[in-house]
Amino acid sequence: MAVAAKPLPHAHTHATEGPDHRESLMFDPRPRGLMNAWAMEAMHETSWKFWAVAAFLALIVLVFLVGAWAWMIMEGLGLAGVNRPAFWGVFLVNTVFWIGISHAGTFISAILRVLKVEFRRPFTRAAELMTAFGLIQAGFSILMHMGRVWLSYWLLPYPNQRQLWPNFHSPLTWDFLAITTYLLSSLMYLYLPLIPDLAMARDRSSGWRKRLYRILALGFRGTEEEWEHLRKAMTIFAFAIIPVMFSVHTIVSWDFAMATRPGWSSTIFGPYFVIGALHSGMAAVVVVLFFVRRMKHMTYFVRPEHFDALGKLMLVISMAWAYFFFNDYIVQWYGGDKWTRMLLEYHENGPLGWMWMLMLICNVAVPWLLLWNRRVRRTPWLMAIIGILINVGMWLERYVIVPISLTINRMPFTWRQYVPGIEIPLGIGTLALFILLYMLASRLIPLVPIWEVQEGQMVHSLERVGKTYVPVVKELE
Amino acid sequence: MSQEISRRDFLKLGGLGAVATMVLTGCGTAARYVRRTPYTKMPEYTFTGQSTYFATTCRECPAACGLIVRTFQGRAIKVEGNPNHPVNAGKTCARGQATLHGLYNPDRIQGPFKRSARGSEQITPLDWNAAIQVVAQALRETSPQGIAFLLGMAPDHLFDLVSDLARALGAPAPIRFGALGMFEARATLRKATQNVLGQDGLPWFDLGAANVVFSFGANFLETWLSPVAYTRLFSQMRRGERNEKRGYFVQFEPRMSQTASKADEWIPLRPGTEGWVAQALGKLIADARGLQVAAFSGVNVEEVAQNSGIEVAELQRLADLLMKARRALVIPGGAALAHTNGLENAEAILTLNALLDAPITLSPLSPFGDAYHQPASLQEMAALIERMRRGEVQALFIHGANPVFELPAALGFAEALQKVPLVISFATFPDETALQADYVFPDHHGLESWGYQRLATGSAFPTLSSSQPVVVPFYNTQATADVLLAAAAQIGGAVAQALPYTDEVAYIQARLSPLLEQKNGFFGAPEINTFFAYFQQYGGWWKTTEETVKPSWENAFNRRLQVKAAEFAGEGEFHLLPFISPVLGEAGANKPWLQEVPDPTTTVMWNSWIEINPQTAEELGLQDDDVVRVVSDQGSFEVSVYRYPAIRPDVVAIVFGQGHTAYGRYAQGRGVNPGQILKPVTNAAGDLAFAATRVRLEKTGKKRAISRLESILGVYGEH
Amino acid sequence: MEKTLTIPEYKADWAEGENGKWGMVIDMDLCTGCQACVAACAMENNISFVGEEDAGYGRTMHWIRIERFWEGTYPEIRMTPYQPILCQQCGHAPCEPVCPVFASVHSQAEQINLQVYNRCVGTRYCANNCPYQVRVFNWRDWPRPAPLENQLNPSVTVRRRGIMEKCTFCIQRIRQAEDVAKSEGREIRDGEVVPACAQACPADAIVFGRLDDPESRVSQLANSPRGKKLLEELGTLPQVTYLLGG
Repeated sequence: MAVAAKPLPHAHTHATEGPDHRESLMFDPRPRGLMNAWAMEAMHETSWKFWAVAAFLALIVLVFLVGAWAWMIMEGLGLAGVNRPAFWGVFLVNTVFWIGISHAGTFISAILRVLKVEFRRPFTRAAELMTAFGLIQAGFSILMHMGRVWLSYWLLPYPNQRQLWPNFHSPLTWDFLAITTYLLSSLMYLYLPLIPDLAMARDRSSGWRKRLYRILALGFRGTEEEWEHLRKAMTIFAFAIIPVMFSVHTIVSWDFAMATRPGWSSTIFGPYFVIGALHSGMAAVVVVLFFVRRMKHMTYFVRPEHFDALGKLMLVISMAWAYFFFNDYIVQWYGGDKWTRMLLEYHENGPLGWMWMLMLICNVAVPWLLLWNRRVRRTPWLMAIIGILINVGMWLERYVIVPISLTINRMPFTWRQYVPGIEIPLGIGTLALFILLYMLASRLIPLVPIWEVQEGQMVHSLERVGKTYVPVVKELE
Repeated sequence: MSQEISRRDFLKLGGLGAVATMVLTGCGTAARYVRRTPYTKMPEYTFTGQSTYFATTCRECPAACGLIVRTFQGRAIKVEGNPNHPVNAGKTCARGQATLHGLYNPDRIQGPFKRSARGSEQITPLDWNAAIQVVAQALRETSPQGIAFLLGMAPDHLFDLVSDLARALGAPAPIRFGALGMFEARATLRKATQNVLGQDGLPWFDLGAANVVFSFGANFLETWLSPVAYTRLFSQMRRGERNEKRGYFVQFEPRMSQTASKADEWIPLRPGTEGWVAQALGKLIADARGLQVAAFSGVNVEEVAQNSGIEVAELQRLADLLMKARRALVIPGGAALAHTNGLENAEAILTLNALLDAPITLSPLSPFGDAYHQPASLQEMAALIERMRRGEVQALFIHGANPVFELPAALGFAEALQKVPLVISFATFPDETALQADYVFPDHHGLESWGYQRLATGSAFPTLSSSQPVVVPFYNTQATADVLLAAAAQIGGAVAQALPYTDEVAYIQARLSPLLEQKNGFFGAPEINTFFAYFQQYGGWWKTTEETVKPSWENAFNRRLQVKAAEFAGEGEFHLLPFISPVLGEAGANKPWLQEVPDPTTTVMWNSWIEINPQTAEELGLQDDDVVRVVSDQGSFEVSVYRYPAIRPDVVAIVFGQGHTAYGRYAQGRGVNPGQILKPVTNAAGDLAFAATRVRLEKTGKKRAISRLESILGVYGEH
Repeated sequence: MEKTLTIPEYKADWAEGENGKWGMVIDMDLCTGCQACVAACAMENNISFVGEEDAGYGRTMHWIRIERFWEGTYPEIRMTPYQPILCQQCGHAPCEPVCPVFASVHSQAEQINLQVYNRCVGTRYCANNCPYQVRVFNWRDWPRPAPLENQLNPSVTVRRRGIMEKCTFCIQRIRQAEDVAKSEGREIRDGEVVPACAQACPADAIVFGRLDDPESRVSQLANSPRGKKLLEELGTLPQVTYLLGG
């Protein structure tokens, strides 16, 4: 039995006039069967090049992530570049970075869904996957960071013979709990909208895939009642996950802001980190979409209009980030604490001052100079490059905050530069795993939520007002 | 109540046991034959889970500080100062602390062996009977004049034993040498004292009684003579304990040493002009007081100011400082004496004290009443080397000295050694000299040894410091004294008769027996066994009254003194100032924890460096960690630059103590030995003028990072 | 037997202006920078040496280090007085609340900061939050070739890789002295407990004792007008007082 999106009360009106509207996915509907077939084909048809890349990535993961990590566990963190005073290094940078990336998923999906922003429809899935996969990398990174990772379960509050709980005074404990909560809730939030598509795939596949999808689809048949439950669950999760998301990155920022270090102890770090996370997350979504678009049939689903809309959002977020950055900077600078002043001086003119400068260029100058331009926004490869640059900038921002800021403390005798060591291959390993997970996921689940697109196309119509046609979105239910 | 002891009672007993063992445990004669026993059959002085404390003497340098070593179930755990000891009063230096890293050093020589060829690592292990035979044969078959004994600096029981042996054999008396003595310029100090005061011995500078102290190059807070004792006196001076007011301290030297860094003023004068400056100060004081001092009368203060780089007004201010002081003290030492005019410098500086009622006395003689045993000066070593080179030495016995490393290479000890047919080393560690020996018969480590040691200086009380084994010898080593005694017995005849002792302890007891007569010791005993037990238990024997010798200054006022200009060897634009590492000393490089203890002034660890004034470095285009080639007319080596802000622009300084080519994994191949490029010129007292070499620097374009504790980012305010 | 899950307190129960239990006074006018304390501390507390490369990269394990700075340029150059820096045993220690597993805790009995080596998982948050930078981390299993292990002090735990460590005021000596005093039914006498650094110090610049005993030598020195606490403005209530000037 074919499953389709819930039938709508109004007949689907399709306007033939106004070619500019056909540019929009919502006004360019295709038969559902065809779309479903496209989605299935995109999952099934794989070139040898794809597997070559996947095998290469798997090798990198094996050597750089599994191998190097095992070596580091055996040898100790001496293989990394951490030292005194930079007790935290790239592992923490990567943790914050990946948590930041993971924010885009929820932001785009949940916030845009709650606010009923329609251009979200084709890329909510890609964004939600990013949350899950990004958090996995963040988890790996924080575990790598630990001196005795084999005892990391001591951070869990579980009854034990020592009668010891984790220390709830410690921001790291909050962090651990917040990230775990976020990972679990975002996995569920990923799964819920996946169910109708899995059911669709179940009905169009055979063999092991059919058995897999049958289990994963939980017997979803598309009845009125099922749709109602699903929508309710999604609404609840969409609302619930937003505060979780805000809390996670705020708490991540507290790891720094709660400390007594110059440069870290800042009250604005919470929102500053949240907006920074969104900045990198949005940019990452654009990069992912660029690659999704290169899959078979996907140019239909992912269109310049989506890059355009995301570009506008990125510009706004970049401005917000710049605002928070300036706010953080000016207060610290004006405060005149001598250690903080030295730290800011070191940020700007120290041996790694180029990082600080490049961070501002990537995060502010590039988006501000380019994203106002509609043609730039609608050019996917340009947008992908800007997305990568913003991510570089945001990674550098965390690098400036963690190891570079740690270089300067209140005991100048101990100041010392940090030079990453095994962090580099391990970081590359997590990036490879992230990409690999995406590639493997693209073989198993539709990267575009087909039902959501179809639903959108049903509620969108052009209505004649006077002589012109105006796009109209009808409310569901 | 039952007979059973409850657990609680047991713990209480344990607590009492702890108190009991906290009392210092001395080894009686019964403990002479310590051997390893299973824990179930512990010696009576060992409680399970309790520490045992033994008093002994530190052997890391010849200052003879008293130690208390904490041992635990047969292992030495921690070294602490002996609170009753007259030298160190319970304190230790870093080297003393690290002595355990010598005891348990992974590179110790573990048993006697014969080397297949000199310098070769290929060895044939011997047993001790064979070793004793080798020694006996060498002593028997070599003509007495062909035997030479070379010992370490400490005037200890082994020195006495070897002296007795040499006398019995008719061989030349043993020669003692150490780099420390070379860098202290001990011979110069003694000679100057003789010349100025007409008295023999090492002066004892009672810093604690002074409230203004001028020091010309004496690095008494680092390694000079008895650093722990002098640090204690320095502390007294600074606290004003005996003088109400905090003492004021001025150090004259071209490079700010650790000692100078504690000075209120550091005066960087031109190297070699120390004597003139002292004369100028003396003249200013004498003129102000209307005195006639022959040694200062012919001095032109303005000329001195020009030569030394200290302005006349500055000299006047310094002279006023001395004059206004309630009690002032001027100390000659170290680099000031290490010039070709070093003896005259020392005399001029010492003579200055005649005007000042300075708290200087002569160090007391040892309780045996024998004179100060001075280690060999460089001249005496050169004479030995000359004899070796001429083939007059057929058998050389070396104990406690490492001349291949410590002597300036240009003196040619290593080459002369090749002319000696038989070289026997008693080294504990595989040092450079042991590597060139035919036989190595390792002595125990100092903490495994019996013994006593005289003080050269370091206390106003005549003191004999005691050593006893705190642990059972860890390896198959033998006390050199025992080896020599056994060899003497084998030789038989007059030699055996002269040394009729069963073993080392019997010899020591025999030497100590005259002290039974002495009534003014802090303990006494009716017979030697009890005396010896106390002697070991308290860490030595010392008198309860000060026996320093008052100096006679009359001679100083009338003695004329002409200080010649210092001569410098070589063409380079920089004076090379080698200084002995305050942390490593001359022989600490094989102890890993000492290597990791930062140098006090530069905070450098684990390597050598060359100190250059930052302005000079900038002119030369040198940065930190740039490798430069240091060239003198004796040779060259490469070393990394450390821009040292407190050194004269015309002086470069290199630490002595690194640059070993052997001596175990932690020392070998690390840093450079400035002795390699020193010109072996001496001063009039025969001491090495180690600051008399000039060098030039060549850029190599290489870079080698120096490990330092300090931040490179923060210290100079640069990024 | 009733079992309760307890969360240890992480702050001392005294306020600013009051004194804790154990304290130290370091006279910077007397300190000659000779490093005897550094070596003594290493020998007493089984501290590992790390080798040249790691030492130069800021991974030394010194629990006590001697700082000094330069002021001016030649010839008007001055070295600031040597300042031994060790754990200041703060009353309100920033290292304590941030540890997620209670490895960095406040000893209620001794009023000093302790590091529970067995509990430490190596997040290194405590070290970041320590304004004095006196915590050191075991970046590796530092080599200690045989037979150097014979020197290890049985009263002090040997640390493996991945663990934070720091000065303990030689807690093993404090506890031993307390046991002895208890078995003799008396209070600890002033000067009875001496940490390894103070014991070695040839200049006697380090004085240790009870701050809550106004008669003790350390209390009287700590109240000297020359006394200054390090980074006092942070409100960490350090237990170490530095005597400046002469």
